[in-house]
Amino acid sequence: MNSPVSNSRAEQQEIDASAKWPVLVFLGAALAWLLLGGVMQLAANMQLHNPAFLSGCVWTTHGRLAPAAENILVYGWGFNAAFAFGLWLMARLSATTLRHGGWLFVGAKFWNLGVALGVAGILAGYSTSFDLLEMPRFVVFLLLVAYALIGVWGVTTFSIRNTENVYASQWYLFGAAFWFPWLYSVAQIMLFRAPVRGVLQPIVDAWYVNGLYSLWFLPIALAAIYYFLPKLLGKPIKSYYLAPLAFWWFAAASALAGGSRLVGAPVPVWVPTLGIVAHMLLVLPVIILAVNFLGTLKGGFGAVAGSLSLRFIGLSIAGFFTAVILGMVLAVRGVAASTAYTQWETLRDWLALYATFSVAMFGAAYFYLPRLTGKVWRSSVLTGVHFGATLLGVIAIVIGLAGAGCVQAHQLADASIPFAKITDSLVAWHTFNSVGFGLLLLGNVAFFLNFVWISCPINSRGTASAEIPAPSALTLATKEGHA
Amino acid sequence: MKNGLKLFLGVFGILALSWVGLLLAAHKQLGALPQFKDPVEETLNPVQLSGLAHQGALVYQDLGCATCHTQQVRFEGVGSDIARGWGERGGYPRDYIRDDVVLLGSSRIGPDLRNVGKRIPDAEYFYKLLYAPEAKIGGTALAHGMPPHKFLFTERVIADRQPSYKAVKLPAGFGPAEGIEVVPTPRAEALVAYLLSLKDTYDYPTERSLNTPAAHPKEGGH
Repeated sequence: MNSPVSNSRAEQQEIDASAKWPVLVFLGAALAWLLLGGVMQLAANMQLHNPAFLSGCVWTTHGRLAPAAENILVYGWGFNAAFAFGLWLMARLSATTLRHGGWLFVGAKFWNLGVALGVAGILAGYSTSFDLLEMPRFVVFLLLVAYALIGVWGVTTFSIRNTENVYASQWYLFGAAFWFPWLYSVAQIMLFRAPVRGVLQPIVDAWYVNGLYSLWFLPIALAAIYYFLPKLLGKPIKSYYLAPLAFWWFAAASALAGGSRLVGAPVPVWVPTLGIVAHMLLVLPVIILAVNFLGTLKGGFGAVAGSLSLRFIGLSIAGFFTAVILGMVLAVRGVAASTAYTQWETLRDWLALYATFSVAMFGAAYFYLPRLTGKVWRSSVLTGVHFGATLLGVIAIVIGLAGAGCVQAHQLADASIPFAKITDSLVAWHTFNSVGFGLLLLGNVAFFLNFVWISCPINSRGTASAEIPAPSALTLATKEGHA
Repeated sequence: MKNGLKLFLGVFGILALSWVGLLLAAHKQLGALPQFKDPVEETLNPVQLSGLAHQGALVYQDLGCATCHTQQVRFEGVGSDIARGWGERGGYPRDYIRDDVVLLGSSRIGPDLRNVGKRIPDAEYFYKLLYAPEAKIGGTALAHGMPPHKFLFTERVIADRQPSYKAVKLPAGFGPAEGIEVVPTPRAEALVAYLLSLKDTYDYPTERSLNTPAAHPKEGGH
């Protein structure tokens, strides 16, 4: 079958009702982390152009604040948002209700407790200093158990599905649900429980970080794109028969691509070479995904402009291709010789986490929140501010990080330029990036206000669900129900 | 694709393959790398960290220095690491077996530190740098863009006591008020001991022969 399951409206409402509270809890927690992480990310970026800012206290020194912000955005915002979206979509596509919601609340509590303790640990000086594994060891068990309590319901929902076919979004969700815990536990064991020696540690970390982006965040974003494009455009995915090939090829090549983060590092040269080759193999899935997505979008740009969800999904598609293609370019040995250790690498990872994944989650939330709560978005000004600020912010950050990366790559390569001069010439770019991060934060505050407004049970207009008739299935297929 | 089991096996197989192909293979190759005994000097290399430097590595880790500093020198011909004087040679995996926690770093917001103990063998410099990186010596600031780490020092009123012999000699205008001395805490001392220990000066004959291209490629052959 070539389009998402279109079970009856009554069935969908039953599924949405079962998913309502778990999704709202996860998304609420996600947005709280998103705002906190955004503030800390902005502060950490301001330290780059104003080194004395917040430097008096050891808790907020740049070396602690920047990783803490990154961990909040990844494990606080990213995972909670992925849980909210993934569980809801899995239930919808499997045409079955989300069961045992109580366990999800327990999982949510422990996951967020783990993230909070982990971030506090980083700020208090218990950081491990391994990229994206900075959280101290004592939270690992908590996070894994909480993940198990949450992830198991995603998989269970899939295994009791009432549908004949399994849609592309489900492959990606199912894969991500398994890949993350394996990646995380293997990395924890090999780095901390039974640590490997010497440069094997950075190899493990590179493998984990690459896996986290390309086997967790990107698959979930792809699941959203595969679901919402046909759903909101009202037409099937173009050349859908190629999608399974893209899925397997993308996953297999991405899983092996981690070594390309170590070009030039003191590791055996086959490690980066394997990563480079695997990156180049991504050409095929990228072409297939382009045919799938852009082919489906073709002729539907009017609908994209008219639908908030589709605008975010469109931005996410652009972010996905930019992220993957930039990853391939930065993996080339000759390019990596000058772009390694610069802001180009920051941009590559940020594109995957924010411009692809986060933006897709926003698009998804604009679709599912009105359906779960039975209410409409209360402020179209706030939705407009969110999209506008996100679009401008993403563009600003892309320009800012790329500009900083160009300056760094160019000047680092020339040994006659003293290091202090490179730092000085980056100040303007860091300042520009602060504006970009500020814009993103502004948009997210707008979204948070709208979220509180729509999800708060004590709504100022009373039980809105009783007043607003459920939109017919036909209109749902073409536009989402925001005001 | 309809079969859940096939999907699961594929998903499992992909990650298992990358684990075996990348991590296990690398572990097989490097996991048992020993120290190298110099045939003439009979010394073991790399030299183990001193106890204080080992504590300093933990301070380096907890302050997140690796957020902005790398500890890896690329070979001649890749980037400008050698030309910048960040090392005498490219790094070998064996250099890192002395470190409990290997923090190669991935961002050069600040300069590389792998051989900083060789480049700047001066503890006093690091104390000044950590306390007041903006301090000017001979007209130029110690560092641009580095945050001060004043929390690694205690500021004490000298009053009638004898000044501490450890007090940092800061250039005028960058220290606290007259009559107050700046004394490094044990954490600062450990961190500086660690920074001073960072030097890969021993060149392993085994690695050198593997990494140096033949000087005169054979012409024609047979």
